[in-house]
Amino acid sequence: MKKITALLALFLVKIQDHHIQIFMVSLTLVLLILGAGAPMDVGGIGNISIFGK
Amino acid sequence: MILVPAVFLGLLAGWFRSRLSSKVWRVPELKYAWLVLVFIIPQWLVFALPISRDLFSKPLAASCLVLSQVGLLLFSLLNRHLTGMWIFSAGLILNLLVIISNGGFMPVSTLTLSHLIPATTLASLTVGERISLNSKDILLAPNAIKFSWLADQFISPSWFPWRFIYSIGDVLIALGVFLLLTFDQNLQDNKQERKSLHVNTPII
Repeated sequence: MKKITALLALFLVKIQDHHIQIFMVSLTLVLLILGAGAPMDVGGIGNISIFGK
Repeated sequence: MILVPAVFLGLLAGWFRSRLSSKVWRVPELKYAWLVLVFIIPQWLVFALPISRDLFSKPLAASCLVLSQVGLLLFSLLNRHLTGMWIFSAGLILNLLVIISNGGFMPVSTLTLSHLIPATTLASLTVGERISLNSKDILLAPNAIKFSWLADQFISPSWFPWRFIYSIGDVLIALGVFLLLTFDQNLQDNKQERKSLHVNTPII
């Protein structure tokens, strides 16, 4: 448990502004591409999937 | 979810390109990013959220999809100065054109679908109706589709783990995002950048 906590603390310390920036831009582009595209996942017919893909 | 790997491949390619040229890689600066969040909400309500998607009638769902895509097009045009955004916008316009021309949903023909799903499953679907409540696609007869060359008609190769049907617009959308992340003017001189940022490690 201590090791996990230490690793988590190290991970949090290493997070910098540009990492957050990369995450936010990636998230924006993922939402953008999900909203703009319309491919149909054949395996998803009748099942629940995000935005029908 | 099929198009999402284009984002991760673009991130990977951009980072790899920066490594090759020994420069610092930065993500593109997107303007008006809040527009994406705002205009994705209608699609989320109509197609994704189980509580709300049952409440939308077919015309209302179609209107929400068109409204959402118009908003996303506005965002892409406001960011047209970025590499790949014109290609992305072209893909979105093509998808929007075929969607508007076919009643507000992306058409897929019975012929295309017959190549991928069992006849019994196909028979259970109604021509002229959506494939499912969580789908943007509407099933139509081949000769009833307007701008059929823009519809979902290409089938993923049989060796590919995911089977899906996609359109020309989808290809351009994925390509545009990939180019944006890979080739946008986001490489900066390493030493200069490090001095200005006071950091010792390359970005990402």
